[in-house]
Amino acid sequence: MSLQDIILKLQEFWSLNGCCIVSGYDHEVGAGTMTPDTFFRVLGKKPWRIAYWQPSRRPDDGRYGENPNRVQKHNQFQVILKPVPADGQNLYFNSLQQLGVDIRNHDIKFDEDNWASPSLGAWGVGWQVMCDGLEITQYTYFQQAGGLELNPNSLEITYGLERLAMFLDGQNNIYNLTWGHQVPYSDFRYEEERQFSKYNFEYAHIDFLRSIFNQYKDEAERLIEANLYLPAFDLVLKCSHTFNVLDARKAISIAERTTLMTTLRNLSSRIARKYIEDTEGEPEKEETSG
Amino acid sequence: MADFLFELGIEEVPVSEIKNITGQLKDKFISKLDTQKITFASLESAATNRRFMVHISGLADKSQDHDEQIQGPALNIAYDNKGNSTIALKKFIESQGINKSNLIEIETKKGTYTGTQKKTKGKLTYDVLTEIIPEVLRELIFSKTMLWNKYRTPFIRPIKNILSLLNSQLIECQFAGIKSSNLIHGHNLLSAEPLDIHSVKDYIEKLNNNFVMVRDDERREKILNEIKNIEEELNARVELDLDSLDYYIYNNEYPVVFTGEFEKKYLSLPSEIISTFMRKEKKLQPIYDPKGNMMKIFLGVSNIPDENKNVVHGNEKVIQATLEDAKFFWENDKKDDFISLREKLKNVIFQKDLGSFFDKTERVKDLTEFLAQITRNTGLTDNLGQASLYCKNDLVTRMVREFPSLQGIMGGLYLRENQYDEDIWITIYNHYLPRGFSDEKLEHLGAGLLSLADKIDNITGLLYKGIKTSGSKDPYGIRRDANAIIKLMIDLKLDFDLNPLIQFAAENLFSHLKPKKIGEDAVTLTLKIKKLFNIRIENVFKDSLNLKPDLISAIMNEDTMFIYTMYQRARAVLNMKKTTSIEHLIILHKRLKNIIKNIEPYPIAKEHLVEKEEKILFEIFNQSKTRVEELILDHQYIQAGSIILEMKPVIDNFFNSVLVNAKDEKLKKNRIALLQKIDELLSKIADFSSIVE
Repeated sequence: MSLQDIILKLQEFWSLNGCCIVSGYDHEVGAGTMTPDTFFRVLGKKPWRIAYWQPSRRPDDGRYGENPNRVQKHNQFQVILKPVPADGQNLYFNSLQQLGVDIRNHDIKFDEDNWASPSLGAWGVGWQVMCDGLEITQYTYFQQAGGLELNPNSLEITYGLERLAMFLDGQNNIYNLTWGHQVPYSDFRYEEERQFSKYNFEYAHIDFLRSIFNQYKDEAERLIEANLYLPAFDLVLKCSHTFNVLDARKAISIAERTTLMTTLRNLSSRIARKYIEDTEGEPEKEETSG
Repeated sequence: MADFLFELGIEEVPVSEIKNITGQLKDKFISKLDTQKITFASLESAATNRRFMVHISGLADKSQDHDEQIQGPALNIAYDNKGNSTIALKKFIESQGINKSNLIEIETKKGTYTGTQKKTKGKLTYDVLTEIIPEVLRELIFSKTMLWNKYRTPFIRPIKNILSLLNSQLIECQFAGIKSSNLIHGHNLLSAEPLDIHSVKDYIEKLNNNFVMVRDDERREKILNEIKNIEEELNARVELDLDSLDYYIYNNEYPVVFTGEFEKKYLSLPSEIISTFMRKEKKLQPIYDPKGNMMKIFLGVSNIPDENKNVVHGNEKVIQATLEDAKFFWENDKKDDFISLREKLKNVIFQKDLGSFFDKTERVKDLTEFLAQITRNTGLTDNLGQASLYCKNDLVTRMVREFPSLQGIMGGLYLRENQYDEDIWITIYNHYLPRGFSDEKLEHLGAGLLSLADKIDNITGLLYKGIKTSGSKDPYGIRRDANAIIKLMIDLKLDFDLNPLIQFAAENLFSHLKPKKIGEDAVTLTLKIKKLFNIRIENVFKDSLNLKPDLISAIMNEDTMFIYTMYQRARAVLNMKKTTSIEHLIILHKRLKNIIKNIEPYPIAKEHLVEKEEKILFEIFNQSKTRVEELILDHQYIQAGSIILEMKPVIDNFFNSVLVNAKDEKLKKNRIALLQKIDELLSKIADFSSIVE
């Protein structure tokens, strides 16, 4: 099955299960979780069912196109179900069957993997779903975002699309996957991996990145003051990606990492609070630890 | 008599929590039934990551009738001066629905109270269980909880079903919005429909038919048997640690052991790397041939029979990719000049207020030099110095950033690749060991000394920072490190006094730190560390030797911390306790202490010995003393003790015939001096006087 088919089938399945199918976000993000359609939707009381396909960047995972399994940009399919449905695991198994997975003949395990994003002030409890030893999905019950306790909670299902495709296609090498219509994945992605790995690990200009990090941060603060929390969140995302590139360049010490994380966390918390104030009035309860 | 069957169906619980939860469930059911005075014959529990089962058989149908005293107001409050009932007493009578003739007096430690005797009729077990079940669930304690539905009941994972049967009757109850029901879930992949359960027999049979082996022991046996068969078939060995075994037992409801292969070329990677990637990343086990060489075969446990080999092939692909990643880290790290990575440590903070890892290695170097001196291993000074400088370099390698548990090991391996001195790379390779007191013995002396230096620096720094070691938690590993130091001193026979090292470590920290914290000084810090070690020594000796407090105080010494000596003395005293000879030593030592307590030491003068018995004692003592001291130096405490015991008749004669409290002050002091000498010698073995029979 091609990647394209997987995306189409997942969109169809989750649409039939009440999800609005929206576009992925037009921004560099480390994961589907970081987009506004997850960050803001899980806050507050309003129920949501949303699904989208989100390209995600993790500069440190780049392997110059030489590793069969790791890439600095991969694709996720993100599902947010709020409130949590009673039969979430069944829904998930059904979605795998929709993709043609014979679940009776594969070792599918829910392995403890609690998720936390310190920069978003967010954490959740859940699992990585392993299929014959391959991690194909993150399955998480959101507990907190932007430093706020969530009520109702949301269920987040994040499919790793390349992993799923490799499993469904029996491939060992990501570059041998088919995107669609016999066009190989490598035609789209190989050169991109090679060049971005070189950029992330070797060419990214550290001083430049540090300086834009600070500018983005200042701009985010200015926008929060102006109650423009949506554009402010974009700037947090820019900070976050800049941070990740700096990290791939090994330019961030442990102490600095903590400081920068705290900066981002504070920004996200203020943004979350602005959003709640704007949509529902004063936030009820605040949690500080995960 | 009734049978009670309880199952909590739940989404996958982390394996590390399962035994704890099972234990709590058992304890809570037992204690609540006990409180309610409901008897039962036996209780069985079982668990997987998806269900917790409790089965109680021979359960009484109702609780026993019992008398209960209910306490009212104190007598002096219940009646006024004229002996009339006060409002307090009237309220009590009213609330209990009794009249004055039912009142009794109850004697308590706080005085006499009014009260009443009530007969409580036994309740139906069904009713009691209806109450107990939600209570039990509510009272469970988890390391981390979550919320998922509108009932907002914190629990470890979402609950899927509650089965609670008294014989065939469903006990109606509710917890976290989940109503009890006869329907449970079978295997998550192999059993599509819920199972309808009406009895214990039903439960076991239907689960069995639906690929759920509910009993922990059965799964354990199946896994171990299958592993054994594989070992025999391949003439190979699997090293399964307990955590991995538990993971397999509890993460699979129908465990099936499988093996797969990976490409031979990856065996050129150091085996430590392969096994770490397999175990930590993929929960798979490496397999070794009889010579101990890693084979290109791995082992795993699946939750389904895998007739089509899908699981095997899937895992083979996964392990291939994982090893490819390992190879990437290994080869990329090797491109760096390992020695020069030390500069990068300047950017890696060890702990806030304690400088970088670069700073730490400088301190550790000084500490190893000091240690080499006090342990009379100055020949090791140069190698230890070099090892100290480079032992943290691997923290900036990709491999260790990805797998922190490989720290130290990777440093050693990268140096080995660079053809560095063997003694130095082995020293670095092992310097995180031992991890606590129960870990394996570390054989390499150099690694042991580096480990000791590194750990005493950790402890010194963390206590300087003000990290507390109270409570059950030890997030910074202070206690673990202290225990490891105790173990190193015992295992490597490092018979030195820890006190000077502690003092040096504190001073060393202060001399290296640039901005120092206000209100801290090396003397106070030294005392803090000594206190920590005193407690650790007590605990470790208590746990590892099962040493009672009186024996601990018998072998502890206020002024010194010769831990190796203390350990040997403790073992000797324990052995002596198995014989009757120790009683004589205890009596003797108590008698000596009684006479000489609170008296300053006197010198002994031969010319003041006048009686025959004291002259003989002095002579015999002098003859034995040298031998006893030699034996003590050689840690032969039992033999030393028996030589002192040989003096017993002479000492007895002395006590029988000589008056210590002589009128002549000179004679008296001299006799006391003689007894002080004996006490001094005996105390070098142990303070027998503090031992309780």
